[in-house]
Amino acid sequence: MPELPELNPVIHGKLRLALLSLLTGVDEAEFTWLRAKTGSTDGNLGAQLTKLEEAGYVSMEKKFVQRKPQTTYRITEAGREALTEYVQALKQLLGGAI
Amino acid sequence: MTESLPANELTDRLNLIESMIAEGRRNTESWGWVFVLWGVAYYAAIAWSAWGSHPSLAWNITVAAAMIVTFGIIAWRMDPARRKSNPPTTVSRAITSTWIAVGVSMAIFIPSLGIGGRSSSNLIVAIIGIMLGTANAASSMVLKWKLQFACAMIWWSLAVISCVGTTRQSFIGLLVANFFCQIAFGSYMMFKEARQRRQVASHA
Repeated sequence: MPELPELNPVIHGKLRLALLSLLTGVDEAEFTWLRAKTGSTDGNLGAQLTKLEEAGYVSMEKKFVQRKPQTTYRITEAGREALTEYVQALKQLLGGAI
Repeated sequence: MTESLPANELTDRLNLIESMIAEGRRNTESWGWVFVLWGVAYYAAIAWSAWGSHPSLAWNITVAAAMIVTFGIIAWRMDPARRKSNPPTTVSRAITSTWIAVGVSMAIFIPSLGIGGRSSSNLIVAIIGIMLGTANAASSMVLKWKLQFACAMIWWSLAVISCVGTTRQSFIGLLVANFFCQIAFGSYMMFKEARQRRQVASHA
């Protein structure tokens, strides 16, 4: 019997998974846009994004646009690969169910 | 961890990935108004050059005014304080780049012909047709949108008519192409975009 694949615990969290998936579709996204799309609170969103950043899956940039602070996030190559591997592992685990 | 996860949780995760990727790519930008604005500008220029005073200035002034209005509205909407649209995607960048490149090419080429004394109405209409055909075709292929490709074919047909036909045929062709590919297509786009925005708002 083949060994079951392990699911990456950093990505498996619902909010972190949603964030990585959202970021794959866009070049970069502002914190406020991610908050609106996920419906999460500032604190929770910030904490989950920090975890993804620490894992090297997203990169963050802080800048001032017209004197207003703006934080943007983009998915890294490592993040893209990790998400692809996660999807493959999920499909393998689900086997014929999908 | 893996062994203790129920199948429905795994399916939920897959569904979450799919819906979030689709959400990120969902386009709520509105560009239909640009088509309508330029359609109206072309008609204004045609009417001015046919019946107004100083007809030689008609196209230069109308096109310059349309450019100022277009860029003014785009700049106003891109203002970060006001911006509520999606972040940029590869598709939106590809389409914007195509239209900017075609717009700049026309803005350089057509006045240069005039300055060099080599312009004729058939030639200008042919250039407008071929350039707008190119932009619509590229855009339709990126978006996989057959209706816009039909517009590209109308513009290309206009270019051919202007090369082989009379000035009158070229002029009538421009009026027809402008109506279908700018006014009607732009209005349809505006309607579609408004419907899409309502759907997004109802899901939020």
